Amino acid sequence: MDAVTGWWDDYFWGSMIVLQVFFFSLLLMVLFGLIGAGAKLSDSRVAQKIASAYTVIFRGTPEILVILLLYFGSAIALTAIVQVFNPDVKFVDVPPMWAGTIAIALIVGSYATETFRGAFLGVRPGSIEAARALGMSNLQTFIYIRIPEMWRLALPAFGNHMLSLIKDTALISIIGLNETFFVAKQAIGTTGEPFTMYIVVGCIYLGFSTIITLSVMGMEKFGARTGEGAR
Amino acid sequence: MNFDLSLVTESIPKMLAGIGITFQLMALSAVLGLILAVILLLMRISGKWYLSWPAQVHIYIFRGTPILVQIFIIYYGLPQFEFIRDSVFWPILREPFGCAILALTLNTGAYVSEILRGGVLGVDHGILEAGSALGLSARQKFIYLTTPIAARLALPAYSNDFISLMKATSLASTITLMDMTGIARTIVAQTFAPYEVFISLAIIYMILTWIIQKTFGRIEKYLSRYVNP
Repeated sequence: MDAVTGWWDDYFWGSMIVLQVFFFSLLLMVLFGLIGAGAKLSDSRVAQKIASAYTVIFRGTPEILVILLLYFGSAIALTAIVQVFNPDVKFVDVPPMWAGTIAIALIVGSYATETFRGAFLGVRPGSIEAARALGMSNLQTFIYIRIPEMWRLALPAFGNHMLSLIKDTALISIIGLNETFFVAKQAIGTTGEPFTMYIVVGCIYLGFSTIITLSVMGMEKFGARTGEGAR
Repeated sequence: MNFDLSLVTESIPKMLAGIGITFQLMALSAVLGLILAVILLLMRISGKWYLSWPAQVHIYIFRGTPILVQIFIIYYGLPQFEFIRDSVFWPILREPFGCAILALTLNTGAYVSEILRGGVLGVDHGILEAGSALGLSARQKFIYLTTPIAARLALPAYSNDFISLMKATSLASTITLMDMTGIARTIVAQTFAPYEVFISLAIIYMILTWIIQKTFGRIEKYLSRYVNP
């Protein structure tokens, strides 16, 4: 473990980058998931078809391929766009962080689409009828009845989606994001101890996933505090 | 920027040359992973702490870390130790193929054992009581009652994990294996045409996913042939 001395700060900043990617991809993942679920539940045939295509494509393709395609593909597309205005530009570099964040958010968002859709359909019709009988408006029903039931239904699967996100951040190192994995590669170059360095990376990720698992468990407990009503 | 169709028709046969490695990785680690998963499951439900704890630790570690890290620890990390380079396992661990199989097996074993456990816990208590009433031993109950029912209950989740495994084989390209993704990355490095190559490859993977889904759908139908609708 002596070899790790002097690399702790690099690992720390690497972890911060993991957290940053996780945070932004989480926001985007929820957004993509909600849009996808909304499209699947809508009456529009076109929207339904587009949403199904989205889930089929991103669930059927390896994660690394999506990341590579988005990274290299967006670089080429952006270069082409910029060259229209300024032909002198040879190449536009896309930051791996953003290409990667969007890529993993798109992948996990395709799974979240099904989760959110299931949660929406899982709300008991009796609850909605009861709200109507009490004279609640549509908006009130949505805020006071649907959302509280939906987040409890979606939580277990949503916890798994968060775990997928945090683990997928490791893949972004392939396109050169300097997160913990990347730090390990550099550290190995000078210390020649690959096992130690990669074990540190593994421990960091294990820590992150433990925190996520425990928080989801805590939230599940919080959701179940009122007993039967929450199912 | 235009989509070069001739490049697509040119690169697809090249990438398909790597489908053999993808299949080998998938089949070998699926079989070995399933065996590991059953062992881990038996350890967990054995009721003995010295068996269930190691199984739980294995599942916790391999589900809590990215598979890429596991592949790298095994391929780049293990050779750091002299005793591993001297051991009988070295001919396997020296090769990227052996390392990929080992990593995928350990990883999928952890996930599948949780899926199987869900199936075992889902078996109706009444059926087991009926088994006891008929005088079946604990082992007979497990083999004749729990196993067939749990297998049917676990199958939908297992098919999802099988697809994840198929997708994870693409990570073998990060340790120099020339599977379909590895070949695609080489072609892109030469031609710098990511759209054509990666999209064609994505379609190949989607077809594989579709075939796996259909196959498991068939098996599910077959296993539920005596279940009342």
